[in-house]
Amino acid sequence: MSLSARIILVLTCVGLLSGGFLATVGLLTKERIALNREKEIEEAILAVVPGASSSQKLYEGEGLTIYAGKDASGVLRGYAIHASGVGFQDKIVLMFGTNPALTKIRKLAVLEQKETPGLGAKITDEESFLRYWEEKDCTTELKLRKPAASSPQELSPSEVNTITGATISSEAVLKTVNLSLKLLKGLQLERELLGEEKDEE
Amino acid sequence: MKNRTLAEDFYKGLWQENPIFRQLLGMCPTLAVTNAVINGIAMGLAVAFVLIFSSVIISSLKKIFPPQVRIASYIVIIATFVTIADRFLQAFFPSISKSLGPYVPLIVVNCIILARQEAFSSKNPVGRSFIDALGMSAGFMLGLLILSSIREILGSGTFLGYQVLGSWFKPWLIMILPPGAFMTLGILLALAIQIEKKLKSRS
Amino acid sequence: MDIFTIFVSSILINNFVLHYFLGICPFLGVSKKLDSAFSMGLSVTFVMTITASVSWLINHLILIPYNLDYLQIVSFILVIASLVQLVEMFIRKMSPPLYQAMGIYLPLITTNCCIMGLALLIALKDYGFIEAVVFGVGSGIGFTLAILLMAGIREQLEISDLPEPLRGASIALIVAGIMALGFLGFSGMIK
Repeated sequence: MSLSARIILVLTCVGLLSGGFLATVGLLTKERIALNREKEIEEAILAVVPGASSSQKLYEGEGLTIYAGKDASGVLRGYAIHASGVGFQDKIVLMFGTNPALTKIRKLAVLEQKETPGLGAKITDEESFLRYWEEKDCTTELKLRKPAASSPQELSPSEVNTITGATISSEAVLKTVNLSLKLLKGLQLERELLGEEKDEE
Repeated sequence: MKNRTLAEDFYKGLWQENPIFRQLLGMCPTLAVTNAVINGIAMGLAVAFVLIFSSVIISSLKKIFPPQVRIASYIVIIATFVTIADRFLQAFFPSISKSLGPYVPLIVVNCIILARQEAFSSKNPVGRSFIDALGMSAGFMLGLLILSSIREILGSGTFLGYQVLGSWFKPWLIMILPPGAFMTLGILLALAIQIEKKLKSRS
Repeated sequence: MDIFTIFVSSILINNFVLHYFLGICPFLGVSKKLDSAFSMGLSVTFVMTITASVSWLINHLILIPYNLDYLQIVSFILVIASLVQLVEMFIRKMSPPLYQAMGIYLPLITTNCCIMGLALLIALKDYGFIEAVVFGVGSGIGFTLAILLMAGIREQLEISDLPEPLRGASIALIVAGIMALGFLGFSGMIK
């Protein structure tokens, strides 16, 4: 067999075999990977909307995704908003839950962040950051308390706490939430349907 | 080819030809994923998987590759196994896959793997290539373990997530950040050379 | 993230070498002299810009639409390998002086984590086309900056009196650590 023919044969075989293997592995793992992602989102939704046991995607676009959290009898317990913004180092992805009337923030969870360990990364910490976000009044824009308060009782209803030494990361979270709320309220006014969309399913 | 016993083929990967400390290969992942021991272990296992399978396959098929296209073929084979490892992690260990991020796909350009194919598997029987791959993987894992242990213990006070240093210890955050990685590896390299010198002067 | 942020961030804040640990092999290997460092930086930036565009196109025009994302790794590495070959041949024909300046470093770039890392990061961060190209150029410049700084320092280290175990890669890594420390100061530059 001539050299060029051999070259072509070997390359084709290697290519086909590799492609075949990869296609098999790709298909075998595809579902599992998609499932993992869905599970992660579902768990986050249920964590930020207390009382919810199932979720439903209502809206996706403009940098955020809105889910409805419902309990076992199908009653709407609140909304979960999946949004992202730019932090100190890189993107921050978070999920926060509101009550059905969109007047209160129930809980906040930071899903992805690459902030400075020990400082900005504390935004995932319950003790230093997240507990200050529970049951906050969001009828107006939320504000950041600087310098940091030492307990949630010190904050006013629409104030959240900053992390000492990580103002930028704390602000990034605040901005993302405020922006998402604005979009959300705008959508609700515009469509007045967010609560009713579930009936159309 | 030197006549080595199988045992020697294995041990050389651990010290004399340790991929990280002596050959200075594969430093990108070494620095990147050693901020926690669990990440180091995961990377070590992934590299072991790719290296061992690639070496065995390439060694068994070494006669069929025309010289002109052998590198390209090696790369495709290596890339296939890397993809398998990456997809496997994403599917069954999603949190580890997230921590390791793009560094698992980057195994495909990890010089260690291609270097072993060129230097060893393409010229040696399957059995020896397997042992060589095993040794190199073990050496690489050893390097990752040492580096990640130092970085995690000093940088977070934990080992495999368990608190090992009491609250009296204020973690040296720098260790889990890039500067800590560079400096620790640099010092370890100097230590390795020093130890080698001492061993040589004794024999 | 807007274009300007991506550009500045890829040079200073998320520097390819000092933050992402990509391109360490050439960073240590070719940083002994300033002019070779510059040539390496130039060729890397060049290849990165082209790779950013081509890998983005392949990802978005072929892989994603046809649900072939498991072929990402294989296609990226093949594209990079062939690109580097083509670029080398092209430069050798078109401009011998340019080839002398940077062409010889091109083959080294194929197994350079930098380029593959770039393609993967662009896919991971889900950039648009322009953002991807800007990211490519910026990362290349960041790499060049790091390697030039390192070369400058190493030229000085060569003539200084270092204990033997520290010479070579060891001191280079420690210096890189100090540089990384310095670059950490750039974080938060952009709000």
